[in-house]
Amino acid sequence: MNEKKQGIKERPAEELGRHIIQWDPDISLCAGCGACEIVCSLIHEGVSGSRSRRIFFEHDSVQLMHKVYTCQQCLDHPCYNACPLKDKAMVIDPETNIVYVEEKECIGCARCVKACPFEPKRIQINRNKKAIKCDLCRGRENGPACIEYCQCLAIGMSDDSPPVPGVVVKV
Amino acid sequence: MPEQNQLPQYGYVGKIAWIDLTDQSVKIIPTSNYAPKFIGGRAIATKIYWDVTKPGMKAFDPENPLMFMTGPTTATGIPTGGRTSVCAMAPNNLPEQFCWGNIGGWCGAKLKFAGFDGIVIVGRSQLPVYIKIDDGEITFHDARNLWGTLTHDCQEKLRALHGKDAVSAVIGPAGENLCRNASINTSNDNVAAKAGFGAVMGSKNLKAIVVKGTGDVRPYSVDMVLKLRKTMGNPQRKANPVEYLDRCAFRAHINFKTKPGEVKKTNVACSHGCNMRCNLFVLDAKSAFPRKVTNQVHKCIGVYAFQMTEDCGMFPGMFFHTEKNHNQACLSQGAQVPPPPDTSDPHLEELMKRRPGSTLNFWDGDYDRGNVINDLCTQYGIDKWDVIVWLMTWLVMGKRTGVLDDIDLGMEIDPGNEEFMKHLLDMIVYRKGYWGNLFAEGMARAIRTLGKEKYGDTIYKGIISNVVPGLQLDIPISFESSWGHCFHWQGRGFQGSPPPGYYLSATLMLMTNTRDAQTNSHVHDTLDYMKETMDAHKACLNRKVAENAFMGEIKAEMKECITCCDLQSPQIYWPDMECQMLEAATGIKMSVEELYLACERSKNLFRAILMRDSGRCRAMEEPEAYRPLQYPDCEGQTVSPEEFSKLVDMYYDIWGWDRETGWPTRETWIRCGLEDVAEEMEKLGKLPPDRTNKS
Repeated sequence: MNEKKQGIKERPAEELGRHIIQWDPDISLCAGCGACEIVCSLIHEGVSGSRSRRIFFEHDSVQLMHKVYTCQQCLDHPCYNACPLKDKAMVIDPETNIVYVEEKECIGCARCVKACPFEPKRIQINRNKKAIKCDLCRGRENGPACIEYCQCLAIGMSDDSPPVPGVVVKV
Repeated sequence: MPEQNQLPQYGYVGKIAWIDLTDQSVKIIPTSNYAPKFIGGRAIATKIYWDVTKPGMKAFDPENPLMFMTGPTTATGIPTGGRTSVCAMAPNNLPEQFCWGNIGGWCGAKLKFAGFDGIVIVGRSQLPVYIKIDDGEITFHDARNLWGTLTHDCQEKLRALHGKDAVSAVIGPAGENLCRNASINTSNDNVAAKAGFGAVMGSKNLKAIVVKGTGDVRPYSVDMVLKLRKTMGNPQRKANPVEYLDRCAFRAHINFKTKPGEVKKTNVACSHGCNMRCNLFVLDAKSAFPRKVTNQVHKCIGVYAFQMTEDCGMFPGMFFHTEKNHNQACLSQGAQVPPPPDTSDPHLEELMKRRPGSTLNFWDGDYDRGNVINDLCTQYGIDKWDVIVWLMTWLVMGKRTGVLDDIDLGMEIDPGNEEFMKHLLDMIVYRKGYWGNLFAEGMARAIRTLGKEKYGDTIYKGIISNVVPGLQLDIPISFESSWGHCFHWQGRGFQGSPPPGYYLSATLMLMTNTRDAQTNSHVHDTLDYMKETMDAHKACLNRKVAENAFMGEIKAEMKECITCCDLQSPQIYWPDMECQMLEAATGIKMSVEELYLACERSKNLFRAILMRDSGRCRAMEEPEAYRPLQYPDCEGQTVSPEEFSKLVDMYYDIWGWDRETGWPTRETWIRCGLEDVAEEMEKLGKLPPDRTNKS
């Protein structure tokens, strides 16, 4: 995936962890349904809505070249570093090295949001004044729900092989 | 189900905004005034129209309420719930009648996220305005600098002004200039076009509605929603790459060579939360405007601008189903990505046996011309059906029959020439001169002004059937169906090859409507039904045809109320799909029968409006619907008025309507919980006398 299309500020790939990517249109064009952010907010918050999502679908209403922005799981985790309650509110999963939020501990100071080096930001403060970010659906049996529910395989994991056109993936 | 006025906390967001453009005021109405008795979408809009209007309303009257109404599934993540009903008195119907439309895109979902289940727009602004709806706040903005812009330009300017998360529903120059066939355009090139609601916006000096919303919509059951996302439409998980082709092959009969790699195509979804990708998407297409290239979305009709040498054929599996194969749909001829058929089905060959379209030879394949015509329609905001299926075909047939010999349009009449189409649509959209003004009134009115006998009813002798090879099909040069709209799977003219069991049912549905009803009521039934109704004469005596039409209309109401799309419903082998959608969204558990009754309520109230305002009765609607049936279908079959009447008798019986007048009986109003409407009808002298229908 062309990283510029992901809106990533100059960050080399080796500084990024295993994360969700949007495939190039020649591999699979995002059909623009928004299922990724819908299921994200449904599974994590029980609602549908942009304040409750951890994946950021940017809808291009005219030319339809939609973009999906995701947490890049930076290996130097600036969001974690900025957290005044690190290891309580912002925690690093020892197995995967992914930063996740323990919402009950989060005080909603938004320092993690400010520290996120990307534009648009990949962390947001939700309606309950808690930071929310993609943790690759940590603990979910089927892995990230956005990938599972994307009908056109337009997103995948950064270490996945691109989908092969014409091959149907059985659910 | 909950008591009336007890709105569930799930699915709905609880408010409808009443927006008056005259004094720029906003009033909030609780959704619970209407729902859940009137489930949502079109049902609520119909109830509001019944309550607030009086007979005599004209489409361009400031008081005409233009309503955008979502359903309880909208923005919940339930597939296709993103579609939204648009209702008002419609200028492009003949005569003007209360009408509905259905639009995809993102405005409906954003409206819910902004805190509104719907909006009602009345009044007329002194100067061009646009409305901005942003998280519960509704404001009015000067649109003078947007007036005159094309639809894409307008959407992009509004996005630049209000942010990337702002979506808009806009009109183009056609709507501004009150072309009766003007569309409302929104994201993903989705339109509400046929009724001419773009002109209603224009008449209100309303250029656009911008919506932003960051609120939440909570469905009753996340698990049910997620399950529906994997089961509705049996969606495939398959990559969606951009293909670079040297052949324009969007349908079996639209298939011609282009330059190598010139055709860049893939598929896109139409609206928020859709789990399909039915819409054809072409990239870097030739534009009619200085943009040079553009990306375009096509549903079924736009592709005919590329080529119309042969009519749209069909294969039974698109509409008729078996237990093993019931997922094909209309668009599966090219645009949709259907699941592969179950080859163990013993009926597979019958399902896939093509009924080819007739030979038309109207215009040859030209990829650039097709893209330019589509771009013209999209950017001007004008109905593609009125232009491509009706105006262009009429020009070809009219010219060949000599009917247009005395007409000087300023260029040689040649719809196959993109320069001519640019010239013609420029005249129409900007109402230039006599001809521009004439066609801006829509095809139905234009032909009547010219003189229908000559300019509408002259028989064209150049259409040759391919179902009965060589059979000449003599039909009028004007592809007019009913209520000022053109053929759409009516078994004649364009999309003329469905069998009688299809087109007779479609004709019944059209009869009680006010516009082309096929947009949301494509006929579906079992393969056995199709085989039983292949003879048009016998089909008119077969109650199953009337029952199919009844089901089709009920399902159409469901699609417009809950909301859902025509590619997903009806599922013949999953009759309670819509019940599950409603429950997943709201927690309201309805049986199929209860949901049917709710939809009968909505449909009957729609009929009440037509009876009250437009004099709707059997004597008015039966001949209007019958007209196409006097001409041969693709097998040369015709139906007599008497035969069609027998079908209408059965159909009225099923609805509980009086055979003589076509009016619902008191029992029907009461059964639907519309006692107040029965009283009103009695006052109007439109409650039929108590007589037992003949069986």
